[in-house]
Amino acid sequence: MTDAALTTLLDQMDADIASYLEACVHCGECAEACHFYLATKDPKYTPTWKLQPLVRAYRRHKAPLRGIRGMFGLLPPEVTEDDLRDWEELVYDSCTMCGRCTLVCPMGIDIAGTIRKMREAYAAADIAPDGLKQARENVEKTSSPMGVTAKALLAQVRHQEEETGLKIPVDREGADYMAIFSSHEIMASPEIIGAYARIFDRAGLSWTISTKAYEATNVGVQIGSAPLAKKLVRRVVDEAERLGVKYVVSPECGHAYGAIRWAGPNLLGRSFGFEVIHIIELLDRLRAEGKLPVGDKDGRRMTLHDPCQIVRRGGLLKEPRNLLEGACSNFVEMKGAGIANLCCGGGGGVSANPRAEELMIAAFGEKLKQIDEIGGIEAVVVPCANCRGVFEDGLFEHDRDEDLEVISLGQLVADRLAGDAPPKPSE
Amino acid sequence: MATVPNRRATDEDGMIFMRRVLTLLALLLWAGGAPAQNATAPDTAAGGARATTLEDILARQKNRLKGTTQRLPDALREIEGRPVPLPDGDAGVPQLGTLGGASDPDLWRALKSGAQATPSSSTARGQLMQVLGEDWRLVRRQYLLRYGGYVLLGMAAIIVLFRLIRGKIAIRGGRSGRTIPRFSLSHRIAHWFLASVFILMGLSGLIILFGRPLLVEFLGRDLLVGRMGMDPSVIDTLKSVNSVLLSASLQGHNLFGPVFVLAWAIMVVRFMKGNFFQWADAKWILKGGGLLGGHASSHHYNFGEKTWYWMVVLIGLGMCATGLFLLFPMLSQTLVYHQAATLLHAIGAVLLIAVAMGHAYVGSIGMEGSIDSMLRGEVDENWAKEHHDLWYEEVTGKKADHANDPGGAEAQAEGAA
Amino acid sequence: MTVLQFLEGPMFYAAFAIFAVGAIWRVAGIVRLGRKPDLAPPKGSAAAGWFKGNLRHFVPRGLFAERTWMHLLGGYAFHLGLFVLLVFAAPHIAFFERFTGLSWTALPRWGFILAAEFAFAGLIVLWVRRFSDPVMRQISDRDDHAGSWLTFLVMLTGCLALEEAHDALRALHMGLVNLWLIYFPFSRLMHAFTFALARGATGAVYGRKGMNP
Repeated sequence: MTDAALTTLLDQMDADIASYLEACVHCGECAEACHFYLATKDPKYTPTWKLQPLVRAYRRHKAPLRGIRGMFGLLPPEVTEDDLRDWEELVYDSCTMCGRCTLVCPMGIDIAGTIRKMREAYAAADIAPDGLKQARENVEKTSSPMGVTAKALLAQVRHQEEETGLKIPVDREGADYMAIFSSHEIMASPEIIGAYARIFDRAGLSWTISTKAYEATNVGVQIGSAPLAKKLVRRVVDEAERLGVKYVVSPECGHAYGAIRWAGPNLLGRSFGFEVIHIIELLDRLRAEGKLPVGDKDGRRMTLHDPCQIVRRGGLLKEPRNLLEGACSNFVEMKGAGIANLCCGGGGGVSANPRAEELMIAAFGEKLKQIDEIGGIEAVVVPCANCRGVFEDGLFEHDRDEDLEVISLGQLVADRLAGDAPPKPSE
Repeated sequence: MATVPNRRATDEDGMIFMRRVLTLLALLLWAGGAPAQNATAPDTAAGGARATTLEDILARQKNRLKGTTQRLPDALREIEGRPVPLPDGDAGVPQLGTLGGASDPDLWRALKSGAQATPSSSTARGQLMQVLGEDWRLVRRQYLLRYGGYVLLGMAAIIVLFRLIRGKIAIRGGRSGRTIPRFSLSHRIAHWFLASVFILMGLSGLIILFGRPLLVEFLGRDLLVGRMGMDPSVIDTLKSVNSVLLSASLQGHNLFGPVFVLAWAIMVVRFMKGNFFQWADAKWILKGGGLLGGHASSHHYNFGEKTWYWMVVLIGLGMCATGLFLLFPMLSQTLVYHQAATLLHAIGAVLLIAVAMGHAYVGSIGMEGSIDSMLRGEVDENWAKEHHDLWYEEVTGKKADHANDPGGAEAQAEGAA
Repeated sequence: MTVLQFLEGPMFYAAFAIFAVGAIWRVAGIVRLGRKPDLAPPKGSAAAGWFKGNLRHFVPRGLFAERTWMHLLGGYAFHLGLFVLLVFAAPHIAFFERFTGLSWTALPRWGFILAAEFAFAGLIVLWVRRFSDPVMRQISDRDDHAGSWLTFLVMLTGCLALEEAHDALRALHMGLVNLWLIYFPFSRLMHAFTFALARGATGAVYGRKGMNP
């Protein structure tokens, strides 16, 4: 194995990781929580099995009493580069770091978080899927994994100003809120920018979009590179502090929220001069303060997908439900909704990895089954841009894109504001 | 087979054999049909099968024992008006004095005629000591041990012979590499749960049944001392070893008994579906199960498996019932039920163990691809086509071709023509 | 000195010392690796999360329990049964009293036997699942089987010695107990202690996020 990989792997091992690796009794429960296993029934997708190289490195180099085990020849062999390559598919293609396995684990082992640490070693040794490597290159060139430039952003902003008839402040110093977006949102559904404009306008808040830090997607977290993740977080933090905003609004994007809210201060080694708030959190706060009066409710039969990084691993469980209660009249929960909800199948960099597409679509099949179990659902609210992308691909592949609409929560709230006629959908 | 104590063959053997068999039958019939025997006066002639032959004694004892209670010490006190030394507590067993005690001929005559008493290891009040115990003991030693042993050794011999003649049954045409699911995880767990407990119960049970005759009589008395001329003290050593094994086995057997009942019940429920006999089974029998060549069609389970299932269900039920009865002797007031239960329990066990040996052989090393169904839950398609073609067709919706059968290719060609 | 005296005397002291020192060493070794302080502003208490995480994972979520109920029943039966028979069986209490002078109320014999039945049924189900489920076959290693078998044999010899009439049976049980104690700190049996660390670590992280899965 490359020294970089082994050193990085060993560097990741703190007391938490050690506890996890020590406590696993190989009970196999985690397989039942993993959508990749459920979709394929292939035992290699058992979550704890995905940690195998890390377990071996730990046993050989870090575990207490390893000296005595070694005397009896019970130490596992050194992890080789070939081992890492053998496990690459399991570590990148078949784990969305959704953390559902932690819920079923009798030992409460955070396998998702541990996979995240394993990816550090992979990134250090440059063993990663081409799709993620490409995204990393894009980020290094244009600061956005999809190559969204500031010019492209401004074009979308201007277009949304026309659509909504509202001024969208750009690079405004002293604003209270600075909104950042996922590249998927800017490129594929820019109307969300218009929705923000209408919401901030109605609530009477001062906000801005920065042309230096508009990208929330953090490829560093997906590929598992702390230095890159740090660089991307720093860009947002520096800009927010330069503009002197009080809040950075994290968009409807799963890992982006965790990257800046929970990992950010640890990556930078300091706390921020502003508060990170998720758009759903903000919307719910405004709703509670009565600043977002609802007009006509959406009458379609709707359900809510819980994005893993926002709900299970982000802690925003009640907020989206409060908002939906106000905005639609025929809301139904799916079985297992909330903290234990199934992942869409494409988080954690899987959707950015073309090699994994077939597996992702199969895993999405489990999600679709869950939605179909309720019956008669016309629209599903998906408060995560990446999940929405997976839903759209998945519904298309399963030939269901005609009968199930995928909508953003922010969009839904903006559309249901009292007295606001929703703008015509843009072509 | 030296499960029988050394005994010279005499002309009376035939007579004794008949008498024992009749006794055994009487025991079983009695346990099955006779009303529970109450601890009442001896003249109720509860001796059943032997009451007629002992009528004279009965008549004599009737007067003598009149007015006594049925517990042994009291009866003894009355008999001959002789005081009998009693052990500490209320165990009710007289010590053997110089004049004899428990072996008093009158007492035995009384018991033979149906008088009742509390035996030494009484576990329940009011249990009988009766003369049938001696017959029970001899039936157990002379017939059960001998023929039980024959059945088990015979089965082992059949398996070895079958292996030598037929060899390992390979999948015709080899493995296809494609598998189809056969047993769900719950089926597998139910199966292995019962199998594990069965092995524990079987081993401990065999030690209880055969431990002493094999270890002390056969190994010790016959082989080591009798043939090899070792010092007779080796027999005492073997007796101690046997007593340790017996204590362990008995405790283990008793403790695992209820677990067996649970495992058995789960298995019965889980495997009932598909185990009812079907028309295809008749044809399967006619073709000898395909063991003799040719192809015998079957559904999910073949006739042999179904028979095994129902054996486990019915004999297993008997084992559970008699076993629980032996475990909780206070369930009955009558010792004869316990004697019958031990015999039935042992007969059932020998049958189940014998068939289980064959089942385990065919299910593992005897037939290629069988173990997969219980280890992984999946079987090879060619295995399924060969052994359970009708099930294969149900599951896959495909026609099971028999191209791999001996003569199958020609038959197919004919069919096509 | 008889074999039994040796197994219950010097050998037992040695085995117990290895068990205690090894287990403490291993737990301390894990904790000693330490963790960096979390700088993200918390939404809730990490300490409360640590305890909540520990309690929460004692009980399965209904959603998953539907899928793996056999395994859950087996797990509960084994662990609860083993706990009860280890701590409340009269012979065990007598044994503990010999070394510590402490004594407490024993279960009646039938209660102790019942606990053993549960423990055996559970352990057998767990082990049987381990070799008949493709997932379990994939992830199990020698340690898993060794731990299961050793524990089973300790329990089995214990139950074989129930009559308490033969020193040989008691010695067999004690010998395996000693072996089990020595094996314990080097094996996955350590989960009896490390479970709290793992659950606590996750619980604390989630506690800081103001939620608890």
